[in-house]
Amino acid sequence: MKRDRSQWWHLVLAPLAVLWMVPVIMVLGQSLRPVSQPGTILFGILPAAPNLSNYALVFEQNPILTHLRNSLLITVPSVLLVVMLGSMTAFALARMRVPFKAVVFGFIVLGLVLPMSGIVVAVFQILQTMGLYNSLVGIVLSYSALGLPFAVIIVRTTYLAVPHETFEAARVDGASWWQIFWRIYFPLGRPALAVVVIWQTMLSWNDFLLPLVVLESTNLVPLTLVPLSYRGVFLSQPGALFAILVLISVPVVLTFVVCQRYLVNGLAGAVK
Amino acid sequence: MSIAARDRLASVAFLLPTLGLFGVFVVYPIVFNVQASFLDWNGVTEGTTVGLSNYSTLWQDPIFRTTLRNSALWIPLTILPQAAIGFLLALALNGPLRGRSIYRALFFIPAVLSPVVIGIVWQRILDPSTGVLAQASRETGLGWLQTGVLADPQTAIFGVIAVNIWTWTGFSMLFYLAGLQLIDKNLLEAATIDGANPWQATWRITLPLLRNTHLSLLMLGVIGALKTFELIYVLTQAGPNNATQMLPTYAFEQAFRLQSVGYAGAISVVLVVLAVGTSLGMTRVFGSGFLSGADR
Repeated sequence: MKRDRSQWWHLVLAPLAVLWMVPVIMVLGQSLRPVSQPGTILFGILPAAPNLSNYALVFEQNPILTHLRNSLLITVPSVLLVVMLGSMTAFALARMRVPFKAVVFGFIVLGLVLPMSGIVVAVFQILQTMGLYNSLVGIVLSYSALGLPFAVIIVRTTYLAVPHETFEAARVDGASWWQIFWRIYFPLGRPALAVVVIWQTMLSWNDFLLPLVVLESTNLVPLTLVPLSYRGVFLSQPGALFAILVLISVPVVLTFVVCQRYLVNGLAGAVK
Repeated sequence: MSIAARDRLASVAFLLPTLGLFGVFVVYPIVFNVQASFLDWNGVTEGTTVGLSNYSTLWQDPIFRTTLRNSALWIPLTILPQAAIGFLLALALNGPLRGRSIYRALFFIPAVLSPVVIGIVWQRILDPSTGVLAQASRETGLGWLQTGVLADPQTAIFGVIAVNIWTWTGFSMLFYLAGLQLIDKNLLEAATIDGANPWQATWRITLPLLRNTHLSLLMLGVIGALKTFELIYVLTQAGPNNATQMLPTYAFEQAFRLQSVGYAGAISVVLVVLAVGTSLGMTRVFGSGFLSGADR
């Protein structure tokens, strides 16, 4: 009875969801719109004669796989670093006696509010001094630093919710700090880490500003920079541009779909 | 070595890599900006010290005033609709609805897309002559759909704000779904037995109990508003005529297009002060442990 009534929501939600998806449908639609038959239907959202020619074109014109590899070489290490270092920091702040805890928290707040564009000049100089100009390593380290504050905040709240008795018992049994962290807390933080993985993937996969400033070699450029670098070229090939936008989006959307099951629970534990 | 001293050493070992990264990529850039803000400097040759003159120029800069006005509009006009729509979606998608995880995914997807993707596709939707809305307006005769919203300096910022709401509403929805999970169902049942209708139960019980969720979203919303860069860079390039300029885009333009690294430094310093000030102010006022590090 009650279940049936709640299905009325579909009448509102289904049209709203379709409307909400119009831009996404349009990206897909435009990517399938061939240069030779540029006619469209539905006010220009969908192509009249869809085919895959733009994808073929994009792979011919650009070393897409190289750009994809660069994006992965930036994103995967920064996600791993943030998961690992964020959990360690969260553990120390939740369960250990940390000298100058307030100062550490001050840094975290600073890191959370700092926009990439405000630090990019300084980071450019640091990376030059460290010999990391025109290298993906410098980008990975910057993204990790900027992503860590959110990770620490989210994971720490989850760790604080773990009963103190667990911790005391492990201490009495003579477990080392590392063992307590790695065997007990890290596994319990997994739902929160789903949130961290999504957040950090979004940050490092989607950013284009830092690569724009610190990368010189075309063969190091990540996928997100391609539409901006070749804006002129794409003016005559709008379909190819949208095909690249689809290729940029697929990996992040997939990551989200994989983590989705854990997201709500992860946030629930983290933002109490 | 005493146990306490050894424990403190262990905690430092846990923190060291993070603090190292913060030192290089967070603290140093702030120091750099503060130093640069006292210089007349193109970023390449030696700069000259000019004291506070960058700040006094900034104070009289009409574009700087535009950035402040835009932030003042951006903060309430994104946070409130995102929270309201996100909350309603969460209420609808918290129940035993068929296909609810598909709905959740669809509403959240804009949040994971790159600003490059979002900016380019919305340009095509809002284009005054060839955009989707313009075509729809021509074909249906609904004149009001035809908007040059991004082309008019008076309205451009509202166009960008609307796109931002579209992007982040799913994120608010997810936060509220998480918050709803923590609410004790017995409370709502008890209220229903006492004769409260669903509207009263939502307004008087659910909403107040979600206080921490509202606060987290408020905090992230304000910080996100002050940090806005990518969407504007792709969607309007801060135009027309600087109408959609925000602090981060203005700092970037000064540093990279006009080679005024000192002036850009001053803008960034103002930005950091505003962001830290509001975050700390909010934790003070609302007493949220979200950022303060209180153990609660």
